[in-house]
Amino acid sequence: MKFPQQQPHFLRPGHAACPGCGLAIAMKLVLQALGPRTISVIVPSCEGAIGGVYPFTSYGVPTFHSAFEIAAPTAAGIANALKIQGREDIQVVAFAGDGGTFDIGLQSLSGVAKNNDNILYVCLDNEAYMNTGIQVSSATPAYAWTGTTPEGNPRRKKNIMEIMAAHYNPYSATATIGFPQDLQQKILKCKTIRGTKFIHLLSPCPTGWRMPSDLSPEISILAVETKVFPLYEVWEGKRYIINYEPRGLPVEVYLLKQGRFKHLKKEQIEQIQKDVDEEWERLKQKAEQPASISQSLR
Amino acid sequence: MKSFITGNHAVAYGVKLCRTPLIAAYPITPQTAIYEKLSEWEASGELKGIMMRTESEHSAMASCIAASLTGVRTFTATSSQGLALMHEMLHFASGCRVPVVMVNVNRLLAAPWGFWADQLDSLSQRDTGWIQLYCENGQEALDSVIQAYRVAEEVFLPAMISLEAFFVSHAMEPVDIPEQDEVDRFLPPLNLPHRFDVERPGFFVPVVPSELYRDYRHLAQQSMESVKEVAQRVDEAFKKQFGRGYGLGEAVMTEDAELVIVTAGSITSTSRVAVKILREKGYRVGLLKIRYFRPFPREWVQQKLRGKKKIAVIDRNFSLGSGGIFGQELKAALVHSQDHPLIFNYIAGIGGVDVTPETIQDMVLDALKRREPVEESIWIKEG
Amino acid sequence: MDNETRPFEFVIPISYGSTEVFETGRWSFQKPESLLGWAPCEEACPAGNPIPESIHLIEEGQFREALETILLENPFPGTCGRVCYHPCEEECHRKKFDEPVSINDLERFTYDATLDYDPEFSSFPTRDARRIAIIGAGPCGLSCAYFLSLLGHRVTLFEMEEEPGGILRWGIPEYRLPKEVLRKEVERILSLGVEMKTGMEVGTSFPFEDLKGFDALFLSPGARGSRSLGVKGEESKRVWKGIEFLRKMNSGKRIKAGGEVIVIGGGNTAMDVARSARRLGCSVLVAYRRTEAEMPSLPEEIVEAKEEGVRFEFLIQPVEIKETKRGKVRVKFQRLKRGSVNGERKFLSIPVEGGDVTFEADRVFTAIGEEVDFSWLPESLIENKFVKPESRLWDNRMVLAGGDAIHQPRRVVDAISSGKRAAILMDIHFRGFKKEEILSGIKKGDKGGLSMASYLRGLKSGQWEEPKKVVPYEDLNPLFFKPKERLRNEILPPEERLKGFMEVRRGFKSEEARISASRCFSCGHCNFCFNCYYFCPEGVVFFEPDGSRRVDLNHCKGCGTCSKVCPRHVIEMRAVL
Repeated sequence: MKFPQQQPHFLRPGHAACPGCGLAIAMKLVLQALGPRTISVIVPSCEGAIGGVYPFTSYGVPTFHSAFEIAAPTAAGIANALKIQGREDIQVVAFAGDGGTFDIGLQSLSGVAKNNDNILYVCLDNEAYMNTGIQVSSATPAYAWTGTTPEGNPRRKKNIMEIMAAHYNPYSATATIGFPQDLQQKILKCKTIRGTKFIHLLSPCPTGWRMPSDLSPEISILAVETKVFPLYEVWEGKRYIINYEPRGLPVEVYLLKQGRFKHLKKEQIEQIQKDVDEEWERLKQKAEQPASISQSLR
Repeated sequence: MKSFITGNHAVAYGVKLCRTPLIAAYPITPQTAIYEKLSEWEASGELKGIMMRTESEHSAMASCIAASLTGVRTFTATSSQGLALMHEMLHFASGCRVPVVMVNVNRLLAAPWGFWADQLDSLSQRDTGWIQLYCENGQEALDSVIQAYRVAEEVFLPAMISLEAFFVSHAMEPVDIPEQDEVDRFLPPLNLPHRFDVERPGFFVPVVPSELYRDYRHLAQQSMESVKEVAQRVDEAFKKQFGRGYGLGEAVMTEDAELVIVTAGSITSTSRVAVKILREKGYRVGLLKIRYFRPFPREWVQQKLRGKKKIAVIDRNFSLGSGGIFGQELKAALVHSQDHPLIFNYIAGIGGVDVTPETIQDMVLDALKRREPVEESIWIKEG
Repeated sequence: MDNETRPFEFVIPISYGSTEVFETGRWSFQKPESLLGWAPCEEACPAGNPIPESIHLIEEGQFREALETILLENPFPGTCGRVCYHPCEEECHRKKFDEPVSINDLERFTYDATLDYDPEFSSFPTRDARRIAIIGAGPCGLSCAYFLSLLGHRVTLFEMEEEPGGILRWGIPEYRLPKEVLRKEVERILSLGVEMKTGMEVGTSFPFEDLKGFDALFLSPGARGSRSLGVKGEESKRVWKGIEFLRKMNSGKRIKAGGEVIVIGGGNTAMDVARSARRLGCSVLVAYRRTEAEMPSLPEEIVEAKEEGVRFEFLIQPVEIKETKRGKVRVKFQRLKRGSVNGERKFLSIPVEGGDVTFEADRVFTAIGEEVDFSWLPESLIENKFVKPESRLWDNRMVLAGGDAIHQPRRVVDAISSGKRAAILMDIHFRGFKKEEILSGIKKGDKGGLSMASYLRGLKSGQWEEPKKVVPYEDLNPLFFKPKERLRNEILPPEERLKGFMEVRRGFKSEEARISASRCFSCGHCNFCFNCYYFCPEGVVFFEPDGSRRVDLNHCKGCGTCSKVCPRHVIEMRAVL
């Protein structure tokens, strides 16, 4: 038997995430791939709650709990300081949620990407402000229920990957906890690239998505297989590579497992399917090669 | 070596001499010349380090805090709206106990719009936990940058140096630029004990229980209090090495004065002229310049103003609903004074209005005439 | 204060302690439990082959370990991998997803890939070893001998032929089962210390009573006699018994089969006869009384026979055989149709009125079934024309029977199964264990297969395992599976096949085997996909170097993710009281 995957964890047990937390899975996998020579930046969010109350912490690498909208420039400050100190072998990773990335932190992320500071930015997207108790963000998908969109979100999810691509940064990729090897391979790739790397990481929140606590990985896989969340990379803002050919399951198999979509009407599901199909076609046109993934799913 | 340079360029020289390797900034009038000059040196290689051209002042401060916690010396410069945008991070910086040094060119805050000198921008950040210094001229600004690093890096608190728009930032004056090796001798390399260390991973700035938050606030206050002692010691050392010193402030002809003018910033220079003229006319007038505003040098002020009957504080700033901010601070410092001096708070130069020696002379004569306390601030509207 | 000695915490709060001090496991109301179940394939395998385990080892490239794993349950992987009718593939859950896993081909592969490897066996150290006589060294008797030897007993095998192997040696033609494969597997069995007495026919060479010297008997005489057609003219010299034809051919004797032949029957013997005759240059017609779909032979046998030019006539039954003057035989057949009788739902072959047809040939082979000769056995052992599976003789001595002699399907793998079962039952008997108690823990599901591995573990530890259930398809998580094409074995082109008796199927190459193995869902068996490890939000699932899974229950919040993401239902959440 081979256990190549059993590298040490840098997210320690005993953290305060809800049972089944997708974000905890995401951070665990990312930190594991990054390894011990890493400094991480987190922002006020569930990342802070997971971090633990003084004097205990779940983070096994030096971690700075910065302010909400500045994950990127904080990480950039550290990265540049390390460069000055000649400690560039240390990776700097910024973790921010969808609120901290799509909304309040977008400007500062843009600034860092424009400067191409040498950081890895991981957006842990759970599609709403979950830490404050489920409020709509610009990453919330159309029609989804949140505490501030009780009738369903009237607007579509912002396309953060296209915003990042517009910065011509060396590498951006989507990933999800449902495909852990793909995710970790992308992180390993990032370790070899200088400049601003961006990972849009779909990390379901069982609490906020109104679903059972054992469903985070499965729902992430369904997000990919329904093309709701395709796995792809953008190199230098122009080379698009699709990493995985989805099975193309109908969107309702993804939507209807989640309480936040349970009120959806038939027309709304059809509209989502239409939007998803259109986006997928657009992506395919931009992409070089159809789909291959080194990970074997079976 | 004396050079004829602006206050902004004097600041830039100070930063370069401190070998500050990480500078993060964003352009804003009237600070931009500092940013440009440092960029010029970065491009030419005279400044060894990294210039982070952030997309906002807020991010500039975020980067400075993070870099400082990583263990490098950092600098930023801003003004007015930019400083206001930074507000959140100013608290964060002092909470993180990072010795970031920042220069703020005092400019009025909108609205309405204007670019002129007014100290409200930095004074409205007085509760953010930063050491604050107010400079009279370019030379003092340059020297204060060097001194501020030493003070900040000893007490682990950030320091903000303010100089007024145009009157100081753009005015060209002869400035003595110290030799690099002299500055190197004066300012040791940064040694930050609590920096990020992959060998001993820690979680910085965790959530803490209420009692602990209180205790750390108290600890920070103790450090801030110690600045009064540290700053004087550093200034003494500086004076010894460079022949110039500024102290926590400066008392000019106060010993026999029946009235003392209290100023901060460039109005001090104007006041020096006014005092000289008034003395020639036979008035026993003195001048007290306040350099350190945070921590407020309460004991020093009490000592310098002991026995004085009349004090005229000039404020180029105003807190709506209250008064001039230096005036408030001074009244608070002297509230237990046995002498019960009459303290008059003159508001002059708001929005960059020019304050001339004549304005100050008129003010002094006005104050000398008064026999009763005046609760309200007295607005000078000449000019 | 000196910066070097000042504690960091003096300046700002920094957490250096680990949250592991918090026992977040207390939050949970359920805990994951490892639970190994049986896969439906291994339940379907009468021999109880450890299918998912061996396939996993193939995938990992550990071919020798795969062989060893199978050899613990079945001494004939090379043989079964070639001739088994593989009921396992019928039940394979993957069949519901796309196509079944190539279990049979992979079994063959474990043999083919390890030709240069002789695994070392160590028999269980039994203090009170018994002596057992086994009558008949076919797949059943050999298997029984093999497992009894593994259990530390001493076996004497009596075989009437000159060589052991039974149907495998004398029945199945070379192109399906090369003799070399059989020789090697039989040798492996005999190397365990089995005393082999060939040319010994009980009742002829020595009286049955001479077996009294043994502690127990196992009867596996096999079905050697051919059932007769019951048709006029059947005694003609031109009518041969198919099984005898095969025996002659497998003895290496030269046979002049003649130009045109008719084979009557539809089972594997009929196919073996027909295809062998084709190889001897005959033109062959197979006559079967039912439809093609009802033929008992393997479907691929029929396909390959057709490719080789064998012609078929269905729904005809011989009624008369006549020799012609020109030295040929003429067989008259009655045409049949399928229909219900008296409105019953059961369909029968009904003669078509006036529908008869006559074929002329040089020779006729009959292959409509085989019979066991019981004449040498005491009558008390016989019941309903079969040997009783279990009886007692001479002071309560245990007599078990298996293979074709008892009432069970006449397949190689069923023969192996009954031999294995008998060995285990005898051991249980000798040790004085409670039979039902032990069988419930070692049976692989409900179809009769037993697990030797479980039995040995029980013997070694004294702890008998809880009965395990067969994992139903609904308990799998097919989201983690992707459709993947089943690789086909390369088959010789028909014209090549007809040149002689070389093996028809090539067998998998290593890469093909590994790809085919990777299709296995591994139902109920952990195959180290690490999903539980990857997806645990707490990071508290670990694998020990020995392959066992460990969960840090002090920090497991009981979210259930590991159970949900296990594609093969190896983890189940159990409520905590």
